[in-house]
Order: sequence, then structure tokens, then C-alpha cells
Amino acid sequence: MRRKTLPVFAAILVGCLCQLAAAQIKIPYETYKLPNGLTVILSVDKTTPTVAVNIWYHVGSKNETPGRTGFAHLFEHVMFTGSGHVPYGLHDQLTEGVGGGNNGSTTNDRTNYYETIPSNYLESALWLESDRMGFLLDTLNLDKLNAQRDVVKNERRQSYDNQPYGRVSEIFAAAMYPKGHPYSWPVIGSMTDLSAASEEDVKAFFRLYYAPNNATLAVIGDFDPAQAKEWIQKYFSDLPKGQNVGRPTVALGKLDASKRLVYEDRVQVPRLYIQWPTVGTRQDIGLGITSLILSGSRTARLTKALVYDLQLASQVSAFQNSAEDVGVFQIVVIPRPEHTLTEVEAAVDQVLQKFIAEGPTADELQRAKSGLELNFLRRLESNLGKADQLLSGAVFFGNPGQYSVDYEKLLAVTAADVKRMAGRYLSGPRIVLSVVPKGKRDQASKAAESETVTMLLRRGRGGRS
Amino acid sequence: MTQPKRVVAFVAAFIIALANVAAVAQQTLDRTKVPPSGPTPVLRVPAWTKTQLANGATLIVSERHSLPLVSFSITFVGGANQFEPAERRGVASLTTSMLNEGTKTRTGDQLSDALQLLGTNVNAGVDAEDGSIGFLSTTKNFDAVLAILSDMMLNSVFPADALERLRARTLVNLTQAKDQPVIVGAQVFAKVLYGNAHPYGQRSTETSVKTITRDDVVNFQKAYFQPGRAIITVVGDVTPGKVKATVEKALAAWSKGGEKPSFDYPKLPELQPAKIYLVDKPGAAQSVVNIGLPGPPRNTPDYFALQVLNTILGGQFQSRLNANIREQKGYSYGVNSAFNYGKGPGAFRAGGSIFTDKTDAALIEFMKELKGIVGDKPITDEEIKTAKDSLIQGLPQRFASVNAISGAITSVVVQGLPDDYYQTYAQNVSAVTKEDLARVAKRYIDLGHLAIVIIGDRAKVEETLKATGIAPIAMLDIEGNPATP
Repeated sequence: MRRKTLPVFAAILVGCLCQLAAAQIKIPYETYKLPNGLTVILSVDKTTPTVAVNIWYHVGSKNETPGRTGFAHLFEHVMFTGSGHVPYGLHDQLTEGVGGGNNGSTTNDRTNYYETIPSNYLESALWLESDRMGFLLDTLNLDKLNAQRDVVKNERRQSYDNQPYGRVSEIFAAAMYPKGHPYSWPVIGSMTDLSAASEEDVKAFFRLYYAPNNATLAVIGDFDPAQAKEWIQKYFSDLPKGQNVGRPTVALGKLDASKRLVYEDRVQVPRLYIQWPTVGTRQDIGLGITSLILSGSRTARLTKALVYDLQLASQVSAFQNSAEDVGVFQIVVIPRPEHTLTEVEAAVDQVLQKFIAEGPTADELQRAKSGLELNFLRRLESNLGKADQLLSGAVFFGNPGQYSVDYEKLLAVTAADVKRMAGRYLSGPRIVLSVVPKGKRDQASKAAESETVTMLLRRGRGGRS
Repeated sequence: MTQPKRVVAFVAAFIIALANVAAVAQQTLDRTKVPPSGPTPVLRVPAWTKTQLANGATLIVSERHSLPLVSFSITFVGGANQFEPAERRGVASLTTSMLNEGTKTRTGDQLSDALQLLGTNVNAGVDAEDGSIGFLSTTKNFDAVLAILSDMMLNSVFPADALERLRARTLVNLTQAKDQPVIVGAQVFAKVLYGNAHPYGQRSTETSVKTITRDDVVNFQKAYFQPGRAIITVVGDVTPGKVKATVEKALAAWSKGGEKPSFDYPKLPELQPAKIYLVDKPGAAQSVVNIGLPGPPRNTPDYFALQVLNTILGGQFQSRLNANIREQKGYSYGVNSAFNYGKGPGAFRAGGSIFTDKTDAALIEFMKELKGIVGDKPITDEEIKTAKDSLIQGLPQRFASVNAISGAITSVVVQGLPDDYYQTYAQNVSAVTKEDLARVAKRYIDLGHLAIVIIGDRAKVEETLKATGIAPIAMLDIEGNPATP
């Protein structure tokens, strides 16, 4: 649905896979900067008479302060309430009302806004985006903020609180990072903090982070580049440059010792989650491939052992989740009813120990790399898919063509690299979380050694409110 | 000494130049004016060829060479509603899962490894009224993947131990579904509307899944995957002549048989006066609301009028329902409505997830909007124009990828629509009148017979719902049966 928090892991997972595979096919693009610091990326594709306009602001939940968690995402909602020259509703009228669409999303690291439109509506889309970049505060008031606050609280209820296993990402964020660490709270934020955000908070946030020098604009699809440049000049060039946004160094997640947690949820089937702190987008090469060797296909190591050979589990998944500054590797197991989470954890460890000791076979490595090309190509079918490739490179690496750099690196990954990365990151301290039915604490893996999570959440929330 | 000066002079000139640009822009730019749209792009409906294979299957080919990709699918007319006996619900899904478990010449592991090396997967699934098996591949891998698909569809061996493993997984999935209020809401809604005797009210259950035998699976495979009801759709980086030869060769062993099934459904249960059906979910943060009743089939002559109507009521973000209940009132993260067309009386449904404390208030607004669209709040010319523009100008999006094109073309054939359906789409949407909208709203949104199904925290919502006076309340369990107090 519209204006939602992009689940961090999904975004990154897809991002990783598609960055892997651009050997033969390049995305043609040009990029330039306006004097006010706005970075522009243009890429023409005339296959379908549509255009995507997509703006990434380099700000996300990690830029929030404790006590105001959820603010970046709440702000994203405010961006859809109209601006100086655009009354509320017109934005939708000029997008979905003409056969297109619009939306936005917020992650830990960035916030994006996009319009997909028939190609003859490009100028109005640029006008809409420029107006909220330049003139959002002209029409902002407390009523608008409050209305979106209610919507966001409903989003939290729908996507987290009323969702089986929906609290897991929040529990991990709080357990993985020290108090006050920029990745220690969830993008959606806490109910208390959402209630606390003031109109002044919105204004200060806008002035610092929503300036052209903190934004990258991509126009992708069926358009005339000369005409697009003229319109971009017309609508964006007079927006004033803002302050420089600092990029403080963020420490990687680090556990001194493993933690064992139990969370009682309104579920009937327990689940086992194991998570290690790893590294973010800049250093994660090899961990995505590791996840493909462990799960996903029938002969992947964890799947083969737990689902097929031992039949302890109904499903297994493993993935590397890379943010800009930090990363985690997670394994999730849904057990079969006649088996315990303790058995499952032991089986996972056995598979991992063997894998870390011997590394992947040449066949495993080849198979893991084989799907990358198709994944990449299918993302190129959509204007938005292309935009996201170019934008993530531009915003996080200063290079829209980063996808192709990453691809070369991935092709070069060796069995020894995978063995080294797996050994380095999947053998250290970790968090083991058992989610069990209410009142069934004894179903947790090694229940006696595990801490109950309600305590941990209460502490965390109290500290921030 | 001179060098710094030059630099200063240069910088100054540069700044002046910039200031000029900015000044010019500010002078000429009136931001209050909505930029005009350009000329509407010409609609480019992908062309396709339609031929017959020797075994009777229909072959559709549409070329798109912009990327080295091919979408391949075989769609079967008729689905679980036509081919699953009521007491064997779930056999279709178990059968399609078992196509991965090995053939006469390849084990399940070998199939998986071979497909992974080709960078793709063969996906099979059976829906209510149709089913399919297919894949997306790179051009260079197309022949090899097609050969594996053919092997899976025709030569699967259905090992008994694999059935037990998949049965166990299915049972875990069914248990997990009980914790998902949105899934429970959809299931109970279907059961209330259609009952147990109508296929639209049936689904797989623990009982039916436990009953299914390997023979059931083998028989389903034989009966279902027949060329006489198959539409093969190939879209992408191929040419019709060459691809026909490739497909004929890959499916050479697939011999004639099968026909399109009948879609005769039993009579619907008699419509009941409007009622609230409440399923207790203690502690739920939100109430999942589904409001509606059985609607028309896809081939209704009222289709285009209903599409325009629903776009105004609940098909978009700024539709009446969402504009009111989410944007103005803040009761939800999003609400919507839809007509779920099929060969039979698919449901009209409006609903969404509502903050528990606002369940009654939201229901009052839902009813207000439904009464509104039926006549209390007449549809305006502006609403009609926006809805039509949106539908007509959104058409190119349906052809934005090879899989999307395949779906768009296949649905025309499966639903029995004319070949020029997309070329005449704009004309048909444009022809809808205000009077049509008033008529179809009254006819299909039958306020006196709405079923209102709510999954929520009874302790918090029952009394306030009662107080709205909208309809009497009946308690149901999560299976949709009367709840025992």
C-alpha cells in the first residue's frame, strides 16, 4: 500500500541481487548536478509510453534522535499533504487520476518519493516534486500533522502489532545495537514518540534534510532528455541550497557475547530466528552468495538438511540484510510440529560448522551466481526498478553506475572468499530469538538459558520516551 | 599577485551568471499554474499471433525484443473449483508442488540444480477458475528451461514420501493462517457469502488435506494438465515461427485430450438481511472489516460501468472510501473496494484494517459511503472524468513487462473477450454514462443484504457496534461457523 515503510530486509535483499548482474547489459544514463546541489539522473527507455520520476533524500530513521523515533517516516507522510502551490489532493489527481501512481517509502538510510505517469505528464510530475521540495512548509499546520500521525499509528498497528511475528525486527534492532545507536530503533518508531513529534520538529527536519543538496532526482522512461533538462532547470534551479548534511561515522553492530531471547506472541506455530552482526552495503560482497548457498533452493545446505533430510522444519530461509552503515545476517526456521526449536538450532549449527570449515563447492558457487543475470534483467523492465538501481548507487556510492562495479566484484567472488566471510561473520556472538505461543515459554530453544523479551522492550521504550 | 584576482573575477562572474539564471527563472515562473499535459501518447497494444498445436493447445506469441527475456506459460481453463472434489480441497496445490519432486529421469534435487543453473524456476499453481505452469528466462536459456517444464508436467513420478513432507508443510501453513486476521477475514467472508455447498465458499482444510492420497494426486495430474483446455503464451525475445517449432518439439509427447470445463455453479444461498458477523480475536490492535455480497460474473454487460463506479468508490487512493476513512478520519492505514469478477458470481467487497477503538465509527463511515454511492451523494461529473481518465490512461501499464503482457493477452483469451479488447477499451470506458453508474450502483450494492464480517477484539467492539444500530450481530468462530458461547 501507499506510503509505507519499506521493509528493510526486502529492499536490501532485492537491491543486492540485482546489483550483481550487469555484465552485458548496461543502463544508459546521464547525470549532472544543479548549482544548488541537486543531483539529476536521466535514463531514456521508450519501450512503454510511461515515465517514472523518483527522488531519494539521503535521510532515514538513523538520522532521528532517541525520543523522536519514527519521525523520518511520519515526515514522509506529511510530504503528501500538499505544498505551497499544490493544494491537497492535486498530487493524486495528476498521478493516479491520469492512469499513473505515486508513493513514498522510508528506510533506515533514505526516503524516496516517486510518480509513475503516462509520458505526457512528466512536466506536472516535476512541478509537483519541486513544489514540495521548496515550499512544503508554506501550508503545513498541526491539523495536517495530526491526521498523518493517526494514519502512521494505524500503519504500525497493521504492519507490526496486529501481525504475527510482526515485532521481530524491532526486538532485533534493540538487542543488536547499544542504546542510542542510530540503527537501534525501528523505522516505524514507537507510539509514544510518534505522539511527541511537534510541528517545530517537522520544520527543523525539513530545513536540514529536504534541501536540493541532499536529494537525487531520477527521470526514467519515455521522454526527450533536452526537454526534461529544461523543465528540471525551470522548476528546481531556484530552490535554495541548504546546509551541508553531516554524515557521522556509525559503528557496526558488535556483540560481546551471544544473547538468547524468547518472545511470546499471539501465534500457534513457534519460529526460531538467529542473527549475527555483519557489515553494510560497502563490505558485504560474498554474504549474499552465502545466503543463496544456505537456503532458497532445494539443495541449499540448510534447506536440504532441515527440510528434506532430517525433516525437522517446514521452511528455512537465510539472508544478508545490508544497510548503508551496518548489516546483519539472519536465519529463520519454521519447525514441523513434532520437533522442538532446540533440535532445530542444533541442526542449524551442525550445518553451519561444516560449511564454515569446508566452504562452498565449485558447483554451489556457480549455481548461486547463476540466477543473478535474470534477476537483474527483470528489474530493467520497470522504470522504477531502473531508477532504484541508479539512485542507490548515486546516493550511497556517489556513482549511479555502481551496480556494474558490484557485478564485477561478485563475478570475482571465490570459494575462498565465501569461506572467509562466513567464517568471519557467522561464527561469532549472535542473537537467538525464539517466538513462541503465549504461555508456551518452554517451547523456546534452550528456554532455561533465555531471557524473556517483554522486559527488554519495556526497558527500551521507557528509555526513549 | 594577478592570479588570485583572476580567480576572484572568475568566481564573481560565475556567481552573477547564476544569479541571472535564478532571477530569470523567478520572473518567468508562475508556480501556481499547473503545467499542461502534452499530447496523449498513442496506445501501443502488443500484437500477438494465435495458432493451434497439433494436440489442440492454443499457442499465442507476442514479440518484444527490448531485453533478452522470454515469458512462457501454459494456462488451463478451469481451476480448483472445477477439478477438485469438495472433500479433496487442496489436491491441486499438492499436485503442483509435487511437480518439483522428480521425474522418470531426474530426481527432485537434479531438477532443482538444473533450474538454478539456468537462473530460474518453473512455477505451477492452480487458482479457483484457472491454473498455469510457466517461467521467465533469458533468451539463451529458453529451450533448456522449456525442456525441463515439459518433463515436470508430463513425467513426474510423485514419490509417496514427498507427499507426506508436503502434506506436513501444508498443515503448518494452515495453522499459521489462523493467526493472520486478514486471511481469516477473507475466508469467513467467503463462507458467509457462499456457504459450504458453493465452490466459492470452499477451501482446503486440515481434514481435506489429511484425506488426500497419492492416487488423488496422480489422478488430478492426469485429468488436469490437458492440451484441450490449454493456452500457451510466449512473450518476449522470440519469433512466432521459430518458437512454434520449439514448443511443438518440447511438448511432442503431450498428446491430445481434455476440453474446457463447464462453469455451471450451484445456486447461491438465499441472500440474508444485512448482518454483522463478528469473529473474536482477543487483544487485536485492529479490526479486519469485509463488507459485501455476491456480485456479477466477468462477462456482465455492466463491466465497464462497474469499473468506473468502483474507481470512484474504492479503487484508488483518493476514492471516496479511502479519502474519508483514512485521510480525513485517520481510522485506518488504508481501505478500498473491488468487484472480484470470475466465471461465476464473484464478490463485491469493501473493507480494510481499522484501529480497534474506531471500529464502530469506521463502520458508520463505510455505510455512509455505500449509501452515498447508491444515491445519497450523487456522483459528480468531475469524479466520472477522473475515473475514466485513470482507467483509460493507465492501460499502457498493463504492457510494461513480458510477464504483464502475457497476463494481459492470456486473460482476454481465458475470459472469452474479443481480440480487440484493448483497442476498444477506451471507447467502452468512455461510453459509460452517469445514468449507467446510478443503475449499477443500485443493482449491485444491495444495502439491505450486505454481509459485514469483522475480525476483532469482541470485548472492545461488540457493544459499540451494537450501538450503531447498523445491523444485528452474530458471533462466528474462525472457521465461519456459529461460535459456541
